[in-house]
Amino acid sequence: MHTQNQSIIVSGGSRGLGLHLVSRLLEAGNKVATFARSHTAAMDDLSAKYGDAFYFTPLDAVDAPGVTAFVMEVSDRFGGLDSVVNNAAIGQDQLLMHTDVETIQRITNINIVGPTLLTRAAIKHMMLSGGGNICNISSICGSRGYAGLSVYAGSKGYLDAMMRALAREVGEAGIFINNVAPGFFESEMSSVLRPEQLDTIKRRTPSGSLSNDENIFKVVDLVISGTTNMQGQVVFVDGGITS
Amino acid sequence: MIRSDILDLMNMVMKKRGREPLADEGQSTREAGFRSLDFSEVALRIESKVGRELSFEAASMRQIETVKDVLDFFEEAIKG
Repeated sequence: MHTQNQSIIVSGGSRGLGLHLVSRLLEAGNKVATFARSHTAAMDDLSAKYGDAFYFTPLDAVDAPGVTAFVMEVSDRFGGLDSVVNNAAIGQDQLLMHTDVETIQRITNINIVGPTLLTRAAIKHMMLSGGGNICNISSICGSRGYAGLSVYAGSKGYLDAMMRALAREVGEAGIFINNVAPGFFESEMSSVLRPEQLDTIKRRTPSGSLSNDENIFKVVDLVISGTTNMQGQVVFVDGGITS
Repeated sequence: MIRSDILDLMNMVMKKRGREPLADEGQSTREAGFRSLDFSEVALRIESKVGRELSFEAASMRQIETVKDVLDFFEEAIKG
């Protein structure tokens, strides 16, 4: 483990990859806060296991005052804020011409507006406290074209572009911002793919296998550890499919 | 917040960066080493004190040349 004794926010930590990141960071002795729109039983389990080292609150990621208050609340509870992982996102499996406007707005809200608001609140805090680490969970879709994922891909490309601009804006303040871009990985989002589609992806992947939550966690752990001097980069965790 | 409070915040940031205090209002921010990130930090500290966000275009920051410009800028921004 590279990240220890930190105060960390992971957005969308109530299930899926976010839940895995939260659980593993807690195991390593970090204090972790997360939010999602809905509460899950896993949140109760983590509260029971980790007590004050874990904090969950139901929150809509596009509720700007709520997100700002959440960052302040976490800092007060944990005695600071060291790292933020922008994980919350929703997927897509529709050609753009068949995607309704509401779906487009929902994806852009959760995948773009949400992480932008959380990052904004976090860097304001980090600027005054001497620095920190921000890691956005991006995607290979932000850099490569895949049919049926246009809006989702656009949102991930946005995260990559915003990250590079912010690295220039706040890097000098000791805030390190980088993205981890998984390929298709075993998740709820890839569950929309048919078995033959998954087989095709595996066949085209040099490593021969999809990444899993733990593969992604290991890179996130390094990125937010504050030990690498890595700044403004996208790290692909995709078994080499973009190589 | 009054003008001297803003100047105190600027000097607090200068001290934090290990730089000399600002000499007078006519001093060039470039010569004093008061950089754009320092400007942002002062803005955030003012936000904390006045309890609301200050929003402004990057272009207006680029027109700032002297300590007086910074003080004038923030006085106006606080008035909102």
